Amino acid sequence: MGAYVSPVREPLIIGNKTYHQITEDICSPTEKTPTKQFVIGFILAATFLALYVFSVTWTVWVGIGSWNLNRTIGWGWDITNFVWWVGIGHAGTLISAILLLFRQKWRTGVNRAAEAMTIFAVICAGQFPIIHMGRVWMAIFIFPYPNTRGPLWTNFNSPLFWDVFAISTYFTVSLLFWYTGLVPDFATVRDRASGWRRKLYSNLAFGWTGSAKHWQRWESLSLVLAGLSTPLVLSVHTIVSFDFATSVIPGWHTTIFPPYFVAGAIFSGFAMVQTLMLVCRKTMKLEDYITLEHIESMNKVILLTGTIVGVAYLTELFIAWYSGYLYEQFAFYNRVFGPYWWSYFGMMGCNVISPQIFWVKKFRRSIFITFFMSIFINIGMWFERFVIIATTLARDYLPSSWSYYSPTWVEICLFLGSLGLFFTCFLIFARFAPVVAIAEIKSILKTAGDNYIGPNAVHAPHHDTHSVEEDNHSHH
Amino acid sequence: MNQFVFEGKQKNVLFGLMALGVVCMLLTWFQDDVYHTRFWTNFLHNSFFFTGIAFISLFLYCGKVLMYSGWHTVFKRVWEASAQFLSVGLILLAVIVGGVYFGYHHLYHWADANSVANDELLQHKSKFLNKGWFLLATLGFGGVWYFWARKMRSISLDQDKHGDSTYSYYKLAKKWGAIFLPIAGFSSAAFIWQLIMSLDAHWYSTLFAWYATVSLLVSLLAFTILLLVYLKSKGYYHQVTIEHLHDLGKYLFAFSIFWTYLWFSQFMLIWYGNVGEETTYFKTRMEEYPINFWANFAMNFILPFFILLRNDTKRKYGSLVFISIIVLLGHWLDFFQMIKPGARHTAHELIEASANHHSSNLESDVKKVLISNTEPTKTIVSEEVKPEEHKAEEVKVGETHATANHAENAHMESANHDGAEAGHEGHHTPEFKVGFNIPGLLDLGTFVGFGAMFVFFLFIQLSKAPLVPINDPYLEESLHHHV
Repeated sequence: MGAYVSPVREPLIIGNKTYHQITEDICSPTEKTPTKQFVIGFILAATFLALYVFSVTWTVWVGIGSWNLNRTIGWGWDITNFVWWVGIGHAGTLISAILLLFRQKWRTGVNRAAEAMTIFAVICAGQFPIIHMGRVWMAIFIFPYPNTRGPLWTNFNSPLFWDVFAISTYFTVSLLFWYTGLVPDFATVRDRASGWRRKLYSNLAFGWTGSAKHWQRWESLSLVLAGLSTPLVLSVHTIVSFDFATSVIPGWHTTIFPPYFVAGAIFSGFAMVQTLMLVCRKTMKLEDYITLEHIESMNKVILLTGTIVGVAYLTELFIAWYSGYLYEQFAFYNRVFGPYWWSYFGMMGCNVISPQIFWVKKFRRSIFITFFMSIFINIGMWFERFVIIATTLARDYLPSSWSYYSPTWVEICLFLGSLGLFFTCFLIFARFAPVVAIAEIKSILKTAGDNYIGPNAVHAPHHDTHSVEEDNHSHH
Repeated sequence: MNQFVFEGKQKNVLFGLMALGVVCMLLTWFQDDVYHTRFWTNFLHNSFFFTGIAFISLFLYCGKVLMYSGWHTVFKRVWEASAQFLSVGLILLAVIVGGVYFGYHHLYHWADANSVANDELLQHKSKFLNKGWFLLATLGFGGVWYFWARKMRSISLDQDKHGDSTYSYYKLAKKWGAIFLPIAGFSSAAFIWQLIMSLDAHWYSTLFAWYATVSLLVSLLAFTILLLVYLKSKGYYHQVTIEHLHDLGKYLFAFSIFWTYLWFSQFMLIWYGNVGEETTYFKTRMEEYPINFWANFAMNFILPFFILLRNDTKRKYGSLVFISIIVLLGHWLDFFQMIKPGARHTAHELIEASANHHSSNLESDVKKVLISNTEPTKTIVSEEVKPEEHKAEEVKVGETHATANHAENAHMESANHDGAEAGHEGHHTPEFKVGFNIPGLLDLGTFVGFGAMFVFFLFIQLSKAPLVPINDPYLEESLHHHV
């Protein structure tokens, strides 16, 4: 892209950084003794992880009967958690792939952590359908392989089966994307390390030397992976939405589900990125790299996707009425005013109404408000999935089958425990890997550093157009 | 050459093409289907298509301002100009709206009082699908959009004149643009529901509005590429380089795939669910209009996907222009296949219904009202349906009006025909007819005429201001753009 930077663009790296300073700032958290905050956080996360292990074991040992699912409500917290986690797993790849294609420079501040988040969220998500099988060893049957069971194969017509492939493909490509980005950064850490750390990081860095050939291959691989993962971002949650929309259950069978699920996923993913990044930038002193400008941009994405989700909610309500189809109308009436009305209003309040405060610039740039909003949205998006799943199932075609579902302690602990799994993974990542992509942030320094653009710039941006370009190519 | 001059020669060519369009429309009128359905569907189709492109260019324009997009700045005047077509679009749509209000066309099933009286679903929907709301909402939404098009344009022109390093106009544009997005998001959905989706008045799909919107967006991108290449060939816009066109090509590629994603989602979910009320839409199209249905998919997905997949095809005028023409026609065809089957079905159903009244009226004249209350008459009426079906399609212009008027008068009695009406509701396959099953030369000529009108107004707007906006904070970025 052109080296000229418009004067209305805000700097994305502040603090008058040099390339060396960037390396120092980002590598140092991996080199110091863990802080007290970190240790406490890690112990807390690990405790929840232990709770997770315990409740999974309990579920497998006692059986699915330890949950409150019943004949009418066959999906409860389990699938709600599954969809919630998959949704969160969307922001990372959106940021790294789609924003890369759109040349959004602000992605470089947050892409690494967001990609890591994606991977851990998908790991959490993938567990729930398996646990839901009760006899977890039966998971082998979801794979279509030549077998001795005669004509018995997986059901290729089932979106649940498509899910297996959508999510495992997404996971694989996201992992590759994330790790590809990490390779040069691991090499940077390696070159600063000694002893066992040096050994560890040289293994992780795959012998990266930073030669021109390496960078060239790295660039083209990144582009190919971005191209591959862009349709994947859409396809994963699309297929999750098919799990519901291919059915003929009123409230599930609606054509807007695919894009609306994707928008919701990006929405919830960005909320989780905000939660994590706000904590990271504070505890790891990354305020110069994850600036208010980044936070504001992400809040704008949240406002946009939240409003898209709002349009979809209202579209669903309107078309349910418009269809003149009694069952459809009832499904949505029940959703809003039925026994689970509180979850519907929770969803509406958290996902559509409260994000509207981000119309105000002051709130978009307020760390306090952003943090609370991100938690709000995480809750709201969990409610959304609960609303779709539980309220729809609770009111069957036959009033005699109507039921009400509330979780047992096992189900609640599974959810809380999965948070433990997620945060344990994330904290390990934050401890061992550079949380901000060093190489990528360096690539935007001369077009987005506050020493080069913006009011604090040492010299006017007009003059160094050419030198900026040359520097950009040679800084590696 | 930063000032576009709308030359006399260009005007003459465009007038010629518009005249061609008028001739095509006249010819269509005189050899038309019942109720001049071909004429009126063409009118609706092209009015909607170009008004839609005007709307989506405003939407994209506002979006671009908010996305901090810099690269497109050099040619943003094109989208400003195309958005101004909303004024003409309003007039065109007023004709459609007037037709619903005063009953001089029969495009919409729900606008026919007789049908509504016999149809529980239409009665239910009449809270939304009624003449009053149709009038207010169509013109109201269009009016609001036009207001915004004017507003965004004036901010941009003011910036040319008074813009300085405070970038106050840019900030102002961001404010107005931001407010427009949710307004556009909600209003365009209703707009599309009432103008297009309601042609198949019984059918519904939650995705439909987004699907149609993206179809418009792809059309705009294809049109933009064509226009920029034309303007460059005339010596304008030397600042628009192959880099900009490359990016537009990427957009065309990406949004063609996105369109396909929505196409597939809507189709697959309805196919998989296999609910009769929903599948009828695609069943009709696949069985009775297969050429439109599959050409739509081929022109809007298969061709752009494979042609634009390569890097170099997005950087060559030949391949870009070729695929843009295909895709623009393809999305025009997309709306063609959205509009034609429903309107045709409606017209045939109405003419059958009124032909029934007409013939039974001949038998028993005014006292029929009394007789029709008895059971035997009901069976007589339903027996007469079959032969009348063939006659109905050959009803001539004058007669059409007579029967239509009669249908109005017979409003009251028709309520008694419940059973008979339900019996023959569109269970026959209409014969293959150019202008419905496939666009004919007259339909293409009409398209060219409307297109010429669109370009004509766009050129007028374009000639009113410098082609490249000065004082735009992103201008330099756009001038130095390379991918």
